[in-house]
Amino acid sequence: MKVGIPKGLLYCKYHPFLVTFFGELGAEVIVSEDTNKNIFDAGIKYCVDDACLPVKIFHGHVNFLKDKCDLVVIPRIMQLWKNEYICPKFCGLPEMVLNNLNGLPPAITDPIYATSWKNLYSWAQKSGNLLGKNNRQIKVAFNKAIEAQKNHKTGIDDEGYEIKIALTGHPYNIYDKFLNMNLVKKINNLGMGIRTAEFTQEDILAREADNLYKRPFWTFVRENYGFALNSAKEKKVDGIIYVSSFNCGTDSVIIELIKNGLPDFPFLILKIDEHTGEAGINTRIEAFRDMLERRLFNESHISTLG
Amino acid sequence: MKATFPHLGNVYLGVKALFDGLGIDYVIPPQNSDHALNIGTRHSPDEICLPFKIMIGNYMQAVEEGADTVILTGSCGPCRFGEYCELQMNLMKSLGYDLKFIVLDMPKDIGIKELFNRLSIIGSSSKKSRLQKLRAVKTAVQIMHLLDETEALAHYLAGYERNKGQCKSLFHRCRREAMKCSDPQEMLSLIKEYKKRIEYVPVDINKDPVKIAIIGEIYTVIEPYSNFCIEDKLMDYGVSTKRGMTPSWWLKNMALSPLKINSLDIKKASRKYLSLEIGGHARECIGEAILSWKEGFDGAIQIYPLGCMPEIVSKSILPAISRDYDFPIMSLVVDDMTGEAGFITRLEAFIDLLERRRDNVLFGS
Ligand code: SF4
Ligand code: SF4
Repeated sequence: MKVGIPKGLLYCKYHPFLVTFFGELGAEVIVSEDTNKNIFDAGIKYCVDDACLPVKIFHGHVNFLKDKCDLVVIPRIMQLWKNEYICPKFCGLPEMVLNNLNGLPPAITDPIYATSWKNLYSWAQKSGNLLGKNNRQIKVAFNKAIEAQKNHKTGIDDEGYEIKIALTGHPYNIYDKFLNMNLVKKINNLGMGIRTAEFTQEDILAREADNLYKRPFWTFVRENYGFALNSAKEKKVDGIIYVSSFNCGTDSVIIELIKNGLPDFPFLILKIDEHTGEAGINTRIEAFRDMLERRLFNESHISTLG
Repeated sequence: MKATFPHLGNVYLGVKALFDGLGIDYVIPPQNSDHALNIGTRHSPDEICLPFKIMIGNYMQAVEEGADTVILTGSCGPCRFGEYCELQMNLMKSLGYDLKFIVLDMPKDIGIKELFNRLSIIGSSSKKSRLQKLRAVKTAVQIMHLLDETEALAHYLAGYERNKGQCKSLFHRCRREAMKCSDPQEMLSLIKEYKKRIEYVPVDINKDPVKIAIIGEIYTVIEPYSNFCIEDKLMDYGVSTKRGMTPSWWLKNMALSPLKINSLDIKKASRKYLSLEIGGHARECIGEAILSWKEGFDGAIQIYPLGCMPEIVSKSILPAISRDYDFPIMSLVVDDMTGEAGFITRLEAFIDLLERRRDNVLFGS
């Protein structure tokens, strides 16, 4: 049995779990290629046009897999934390993909409530049963998958740069090189180090979010807002770059919250869609770096005077 | 305290009755207009959904007339509406307004104590007795129900009326007159009266008008300004329309949702295409599309603001329903840049299509 796993959306975070789980169940796991021109174009072509770029690209990945596997996994992530939600498009992802694409193999679309291992297990059990495995086999595979996930660390925390910025945004916008036109490398090449949210502890993220009038009900809000505020307040970074896609509803809120929380902190927002030109992005990051350099220089200047 | 609240269709009449009954000072923002949208857009984040922008326009205009407190319902669904209040509070503050917000969230999110707390802030500025307060709430809810029924009746009968435009003008007159009532009981009997008059509008039962269901995102289907008064236009074309999303539906849905017995018919109808709640009202959109097909409607129009997350999911599903049931569905996206001309062209083309389909069936071609 060939199980296809699309390399889109939160794959970048949860691939150890998915790949190990289905591999351990004895399936031949086929992962789509890194996002490339073909996958990108297919995504744009088949997905409804007012969706955000990451969802479109996910469509491209499923399209890539459709003749290469017997079963495709479309993770319908409903919740990652208790009492929090993630974007409605995640909850309706299978519906979008199954209706926008034709000729798909059967798909695993059961909802994933990853609020605890136990809740996650019920997804694993259903998926395992689809593959004709018994509970014992599923349990073994599940435990191995969790191990793999736990040992997997993502995140960037560069050292040795004079300027350091916090790179915020949804993980798939940060880690998909094709989507963001090699943003990480671009920033590094311009002499700036990067720090991402993964190095800030959950409780610190949560503490910042608690200062809001209303408890955010989006996981993404807590993560990005908490991270941005914390890194700025503790002077871990000199500026913040937020990479976002057009038509992303959660980002439009998070960006505003960060702006409100940090009115005077250098903050660059890069919005990306299928029409974004690389040259424009380059210029904006360069200008941002120049601004940060000036600020740093001025600050040190003033302090020697005073 | 001088309270205000954002517009949503006819809700202002219900709220007016409520505040009149409670004896609370209030300001109804001027009716939604390009002006409200323009000032709202100027001060709102670019990519926020359209309802947010119009609401900001409402607040700013209400403040000009002396309002100092905004009363808002929140909903902690997995959609942006739940984050509105935070952003709007910040935004108004940064614009230099000294505006209080009272957000009425669901008890499951803020706790029943906090809800009572917030309600009591409103209640304490009313000098009425407890009983009078309860009566005021009850009348306001009755008014909301009655208004929704009356409006639905007008929309439906517009396809059958003998004297063109009668339903529409009666309902508009009803709204205008209701606005003049300072006593909730008076408003209630006035609306009852108009409902009767619309019921007795001369109709031609042999007419078989085109029937269209209006589905989609709750704000943009209910608030006429945001959808270029699509229902008024359809009344002019002699089309019968139906819309499941109404303020009173919303009230009932909110009240029953903790028990999970809300909107059972919609849940059942949508199960095959969207079995889970994904936020916003995507599930209702799907369910209503199918229900209206079952009820013999000719087609459905989905309306939503640009970038609306749950409705983009529905939009992906609707073509499948359209195909499976041979039921035409058109999606209309609205935002502050949408031009009315293009909107009307598409609307007319859609009605033409529905009429042609009927002729084809009649003549068997
Ligand atoms: S969070 Fe934003 S980018 Fe991610 S799927 Fe939702 S709308 Fe798209
Ligand atoms: S349902 Fe749509 S319009 Fe309403 S808050 Fe959510 S994204 Fe905005």
